[in-house]
Amino acid sequence: MGITILPPVVEDLVPRHDESDDSMSVGSDSDVEMSGIRAPKRARLGNLTVSTGVVTPGEVVTDDPQWMRGHGTYMTPLSTSIIATVAGTVHKTNKLLSVHPLRARYTPEIGDLVVGRIVEVQSKRWKVDVAAPLLAQLPLSAINLPGGILRRRTSADELQIRTFFSEGDLLVAEVQSVHQDGSASLHTRSLKYGKLRNGVFLAVTGTGGSGASSSSTKGGVGAGSLRPGAGAGVGGVVRSRRQVWTVSTHNGGGEVDVILGVNGYIWISKHADGAAAASSTTQNVSITRMEEMVSSSIYSSQNDNITPQTRREIARLAQCIQVLVQGGVRVDEETVMRAYEASLLVDLEVGDDEDEYEETRHEGREYLEGAKSRRILELVVQQAK
Amino acid sequence: MMADRRRINGPPGGTRPAVFASNSQSGTGATTRAQRQRQPSELRKIFLKTGLIPTASGSSYLEFEPSASLAAARANPKSLIPPSSALKLACTVHGPKPLPRSAAFSPNLVLTTHVKYAPFAARRRKGHIRDSSERDLGVHLETALRGAIIAERWPKSGLDITITILEAEDDRWWGDAPDSHDASWGMMNVLAGCITAASAAIADAHIDCLDLVAGGVAALVSDESAGSSAAPKLMLDTDPAEHRSILSACVVGYMPARDEITELWLKGDSSKASLEDGDKRTGHEALIDGAVDAARGAHTVLAEAVRESLLSAVGQL
Amino acid sequence: MSNQRQASSASQVPHLSPAELSYLYTSLSLPKSSIRPDGRSPTQFRPLTAETNILPGTNGSARVGFADGTQAIVGVKAEVEKTVLSNETVDARSEFGISEDRGEQEGSAAVGGHGSWVQMSIEIPGFRDDDALPVFLSEMMRESLVGAVGSAEASDMTGGLKGRLVINKRWHWRLYIDVLLLSQPLSYPLPLLSLTTHLALLSTKLPKLKSQGEEDPFFDDDWAVAEYLYPRVSLSSAKHSARSPFVRPPVTLLVISVGENIIFDPNREEIAVADAVLAISITRDSEAGNLKLLSIRTVDPPSRLTQPGIPNSENVNMLGAVASTEDVAVLNPATGEEEVPGVWRPRRGGVKRSVIAEMVKTVLKKGGVGEEVLEGLEGVEVS
Repeated sequence: MGITILPPVVEDLVPRHDESDDSMSVGSDSDVEMSGIRAPKRARLGNLTVSTGVVTPGEVVTDDPQWMRGHGTYMTPLSTSIIATVAGTVHKTNKLLSVHPLRARYTPEIGDLVVGRIVEVQSKRWKVDVAAPLLAQLPLSAINLPGGILRRRTSADELQIRTFFSEGDLLVAEVQSVHQDGSASLHTRSLKYGKLRNGVFLAVTGTGGSGASSSSTKGGVGAGSLRPGAGAGVGGVVRSRRQVWTVSTHNGGGEVDVILGVNGYIWISKHADGAAAASSTTQNVSITRMEEMVSSSIYSSQNDNITPQTRREIARLAQCIQVLVQGGVRVDEETVMRAYEASLLVDLEVGDDEDEYEETRHEGREYLEGAKSRRILELVVQQAK
Repeated sequence: MMADRRRINGPPGGTRPAVFASNSQSGTGATTRAQRQRQPSELRKIFLKTGLIPTASGSSYLEFEPSASLAAARANPKSLIPPSSALKLACTVHGPKPLPRSAAFSPNLVLTTHVKYAPFAARRRKGHIRDSSERDLGVHLETALRGAIIAERWPKSGLDITITILEAEDDRWWGDAPDSHDASWGMMNVLAGCITAASAAIADAHIDCLDLVAGGVAALVSDESAGSSAAPKLMLDTDPAEHRSILSACVVGYMPARDEITELWLKGDSSKASLEDGDKRTGHEALIDGAVDAARGAHTVLAEAVRESLLSAVGQL
Repeated sequence: MSNQRQASSASQVPHLSPAELSYLYTSLSLPKSSIRPDGRSPTQFRPLTAETNILPGTNGSARVGFADGTQAIVGVKAEVEKTVLSNETVDARSEFGISEDRGEQEGSAAVGGHGSWVQMSIEIPGFRDDDALPVFLSEMMRESLVGAVGSAEASDMTGGLKGRLVINKRWHWRLYIDVLLLSQPLSYPLPLLSLTTHLALLSTKLPKLKSQGEEDPFFDDDWAVAEYLYPRVSLSSAKHSARSPFVRPPVTLLVISVGENIIFDPNREEIAVADAVLAISITRDSEAGNLKLLSIRTVDPPSRLTQPGIPNSENVNMLGAVASTEDVAVLNPATGEEEVPGVWRPRRGGVKRSVIAEMVKTVLKKGGVGEEVLEGLEGVEVS
């Protein structure tokens, strides 16, 4: 079948009951009423709960003067009420009240591992697209220069700046500092970082706001997001312990590296043996050995020989991530691996059903869409429980 | 749809000269249409000369030989309806020149093409702003040339190619009903001329290219000039004014040295082509092959013109 | 953005790194079994959702969306307009006679309308209406629409769409086809726009004509009796073939060649490494029931404007760390150029005739992609 044309799906909109306002209040004794607009007089925040309440811009979060306003809120000069400026969930840290949007553009934080694409080359720095509102910058002084990490940069390096990174090149880096205006400064001064090759790039939504980390998604939002089709927009890469790991793939694909940039840019590539493998155990590599490794591959734009089997599995991993994102499931090592296993399982199921039904059917088998993607999501959710 | 943002135009829609009934109905001689007198595979002669515009880095001028009937009709005009027109165009190349500061870095030569009809080029007057057919031609031309230019030899630079069409090929004979075939067949001939001329001008500007790319046109024609049979016949380098009915036509930009097509534009129904017995090709394949043959013909002229200008330059030294 | 416009070609140039391009190209050009980044087979299209008659203010409309959220809406509006007859036309008509000589010479038939009666405009966010891309796309689609000439059998459609627009000698319909892309295109939008236009035209209805002959036209104001622009089952053609009960508007497909493989419905990354890109318009021949080619256009492949990769042997940062034996250039059979494996080279030159022939054949052959697409479209409920 070459083409599938479906009628539009009318999503089942569960009508929200008016009582849902009540369900937002944490205690039934309505001591902690979050819907400030309805009953502004009564609205008084308890100091004991982490709220799962949802507010919209302009909504009064509280008018209790004991709270301090944080991100995502504002106060009018003459009143004590704190008003939300973004739609999202209310968070309280001691006496600080902030609203975290469910989805937003990536805001860089120090230490984030990001995948970025060079968009502009300047005389001493690169401008890098990291899916943030502002372009990040990567100074020439923040990269490993060939011929040893400890070498000073020279004017010759400035002249041949394009031989390190050029427009369009992808790189993995770490956020070194964040400027006043929110733009990030990156560095690649580690053997883990540098130019990317031997793989495919994928852009999904990244960490929204600052706090949509795994801890907050564990709550109501997280559970809801695992329902396929619903809660679109909560999926995406979240900050987690491991952003980079190696998958040993099935079907003879060998080892494949996955890099989940916190910013939602993802790189899936053939596992780089040698240099990168050694870098995970950096302690037993001598400085001179490292020099060699830096010079041997870090600025290469030539791909290694990659077998078709590996390419297939890389494509499968990429699709699994797409399925997760479209299903509104957060993307981290755990879910990606589960989705990958599920996709293999689904393949077996489908294979049994059709049983060499037609030779040409086999061709598009690797395409995960519609029913297959739903099945994968189901399996992922099942395992989550 | 497309408004000129800089100048105030007159009311849209043009006026046409009055053609008096007596004029076109009385004398039968006045309405005789031009007939193709060439063989189906015979091309019109091309005049091509490079380096005529001294201020440009490269330039060329191209002219198709007018049909025999046109020459006769011009010498002895009988009707207000011109029997046919021939193609005349000038091409200038500016560059390679640095890209403007605001432009993003480009590892390749950035090509821009402008094709503009002179207001008086066609029977219906063209405005001063480029209309959609002129933009369309520009895109086609760009596709044709980009395949031939070795763009990475000239990083961070731009090349402007401007073509002014002084006299355009007609889409049909103006004595015919406007619905006889209203598709823009003449545009295809214009495109073929543009490709050949631009290629010569690029060579004149000393830009590296893989080969001289030449344009050629072939068409499937069914009318009296193709013989009595109604089955459409393949003809090369068709002048639309000479044919009552063109079923489909094809223009290619072709590089003989590599046997590659850089630009292909085929339209119309080519399924009913009558080929010689034993010819297994389908209609569109035959059409493309025909256009390639026409382009090969144009290429000989093109190569000769470029060599000629080179030799004359050497002679002057 | 400015870069897109500057490269004024019909194609946009996505910024991809040489390593990505090389990886994609090698994956796609694997002999006989190309691996697409999304796992589709070479002839597989991305799944679509489609619905028709969504805009009550139009004569016909359709909406088509990809799973990635790209959506196109097409509205078709028809207006009655007075036909301007030039003197020449009158002469020609009186000379050749209006009616019966069209049998042997189709195309010159006096019933033919005029191509300019069909007006098409495409609105793509981020592009001005006179940018190259919208102009090129609309010309490409209009050309196949007005060029599609119906056979004499389907009497209502003689002269194709143009002929259908004729009301009588002095009046005709003018058709405005307005295409709206709802977001910036994530891939070359041609297939999406073409499929949407196809469905919108299918659902287009014109009011029923009550006047007769050469009278000034007036119409039945009952929308229920309005007639389809592309008439449904007429007796003459129904007996001919059950599979194509009526004439349908043409469809334009985007086909690319990578190495020796031919790939349909490419996404943005795939088109960026294509050796050649063709837009092929087809329609069903109502006489024979098979497919008919209407037009072919080459589209400038963006691969010509990409950044080249640097082989390790030439990389100044490698300091000769690699043994140069790795970098033996091999001849790419598809392009005829020497290439170091794993290093991206921008494409040069054109496309071989045999490749074009093969691409067209894949579309047109019995049971080929063209038929699959048309069958898929025929499965769409047109209300």
